Amino acid sequence: MVGFNFKSMYTIAKKEFMDNIRSKWIIAISIIFIILTVVSSYVAGGQGEFGGMEETVVSLLSISALLIPLIAIMLGFSTIAGEAEKGALYVVLSYPVRRVEVLLGKFLGLGAVLAVTPLIGFGLGGVIIAATVGAEEGVAYLAFIGLTILLGIMYLSLVIFISALCKTRVRAIAGGIVLFFWAMIYGLVLMSIYIATGGSYEDFFSGSLLDLPDWFWASIVFSPNDTNQMAVMQAFDLKQAFGFQIEAPDWLSMSFLLAVQMMWVLIPLFLAYFFFRRRDI
Amino acid sequence: MITKNVKCPVCKNIITIQGNPGEKTPIICPNCNTRGEFLFPEEKLGFQKAAGPSSIEISGLVKHFKEVKAVDNISFSVKTGEIFGLLGPNGAGKTTTIKAILDLIHMNSGNVKINGFDIKKEGIEARASVGYLPERVAFYDNLTPLQTMNFFCELWGVDKSVAKPLIKEVGLEDAIDRKVGTFSKGMVQLLGVAQVMIGNPPVYILDEPMAGLDARWVKIIREKIKMLNKQGATILFSSHILSEVENICDRVAIINKGKLIAEDTVTNLNKYLRIKPRLEITIPGLNGRIPEVIKTIGGVEVANAKGDTLFVTCEPTVKSQIITALQNSGLKIDNIKTIEPSLEDAFVKIIESGA
Repeated sequence: MVGFNFKSMYTIAKKEFMDNIRSKWIIAISIIFIILTVVSSYVAGGQGEFGGMEETVVSLLSISALLIPLIAIMLGFSTIAGEAEKGALYVVLSYPVRRVEVLLGKFLGLGAVLAVTPLIGFGLGGVIIAATVGAEEGVAYLAFIGLTILLGIMYLSLVIFISALCKTRVRAIAGGIVLFFWAMIYGLVLMSIYIATGGSYEDFFSGSLLDLPDWFWASIVFSPNDTNQMAVMQAFDLKQAFGFQIEAPDWLSMSFLLAVQMMWVLIPLFLAYFFFRRRDI
Repeated sequence: MITKNVKCPVCKNIITIQGNPGEKTPIICPNCNTRGEFLFPEEKLGFQKAAGPSSIEISGLVKHFKEVKAVDNISFSVKTGEIFGLLGPNGAGKTTTIKAILDLIHMNSGNVKINGFDIKKEGIEARASVGYLPERVAFYDNLTPLQTMNFFCELWGVDKSVAKPLIKEVGLEDAIDRKVGTFSKGMVQLLGVAQVMIGNPPVYILDEPMAGLDARWVKIIREKIKMLNKQGATILFSSHILSEVENICDRVAIINKGKLIAEDTVTNLNKYLRIKPRLEITIPGLNGRIPEVIKTIGGVEVANAKGDTLFVTCEPTVKSQIITALQNSGLKIDNIKTIEPSLEDAFVKIIESGA
């Protein structure tokens, strides 16, 4: 690409990766993921035995949906706002590098950190389960790991956008917290709207959501978490999760869900560049 | 200071010698007593030097922060090979000007050229000519100084082998394996000085480089700046320590409230402002009394006395007239000291005049 130095981007990505991988909490999180996977499998299995891959994923899904965005936000909120405030970004941007190279370098480096933690944590956990109860649904389990990484990447992209938009580190972390809570309550908001607009109480409280309206399913695309969870359910062909029986429409296919998730990565990243390019450092 | 190993042409013994670029050092082989000389090569600047007479050219620079005009139509140029000082009180617009020069903040209007390259149109080439030390320098807490320097070497496209010698040069070799997060402010500043020399750029922009450092390191940095300049580098240097600017700089620009209010050599600024020297005359038995004869001499601006010392601010031409008049009135002069006007005097006068 003319006017783009891949080496600068790679150098920044490598630095971001090394800087974060040395941090002890990344190691701690990887260990937590291993423990969580094994414990989830054990709980899912019941009667003192490990559960299979599918049961483990069902148990892990809500925990990873909570932890992964949180890790991404913790990693990314300081990327631009924090470094500009602290002063490290002045030096980097005074070098012969372009802002797009710096931004993509940071995104790729932090993305690699986000990929490593579930890869080690859920990966080793998966190996333990496979060794104990067998590797049935192994491919779907790998898809779960991949989709978990994608969930982290989506939140990373969003939080980098927030960091590029906010003037200070404090505002960026506040933005990150708002993003996190919005992601957590989005499903509840949708349910509330569904019931308020004439949705069936009985279906909701009996745990059967087989007749949800199209607008409900369409609105899933506005939530990275829900889109991602739906993709995991597709990977395992799950019809039941979080205590609900769910029958998604046909158009909510895996490829559609992946395309939506790619949009959640690319659009915030583009907006982050838009604001970063114009930003006074 | 460069360390070099040379081979004795007679006995092939390896001799370690030290010297500065351009310096001729006599060598005596401790093995065979062969005498010789070694000429340390002049250091070459990493990037092609500016062809023109000015390394930094700024014209009509304007920067607004909402309603506040932080930089108001500033124009000046820094000649190739000079040390140029940027002075001004806090909030005057020095750092904003420097950041706008490097395109870290986007100017509302104006043009900046570094080493002949337009910062807006040829930003990569322009920044490849500059070493920049920001006022609030910070690095990455989890990296060691060596990892930090390696990162910046890689970013600049320079061989990483320069990292260790540069760390040693600023005196951080004992902390080479410590994380930067454990460094004091002064140590971080020193790492910043090491970082700025990566790539041996022809232009240096140093924003308050001595801030937060103790006297020992201030001296080292001052020497380093002088050495870089001796090698041909152009230096734009901002500071609030007036004596430092006066010691180091060839020319000075004074900024106040975002406007450039003076730009000249220190000597010319003093002349232009007609700041007069001050005499400190020790007269035994003066007891805080101002001799009447002083008041009759034309060219005396201010006279006051404290104990046995008489302080007279006057035109330089009437200095001998004052001494003669005091002696003729029967006063015995023990000592005379002339305090030449300083940059501080010029600075205060300019700022107080509200220019």
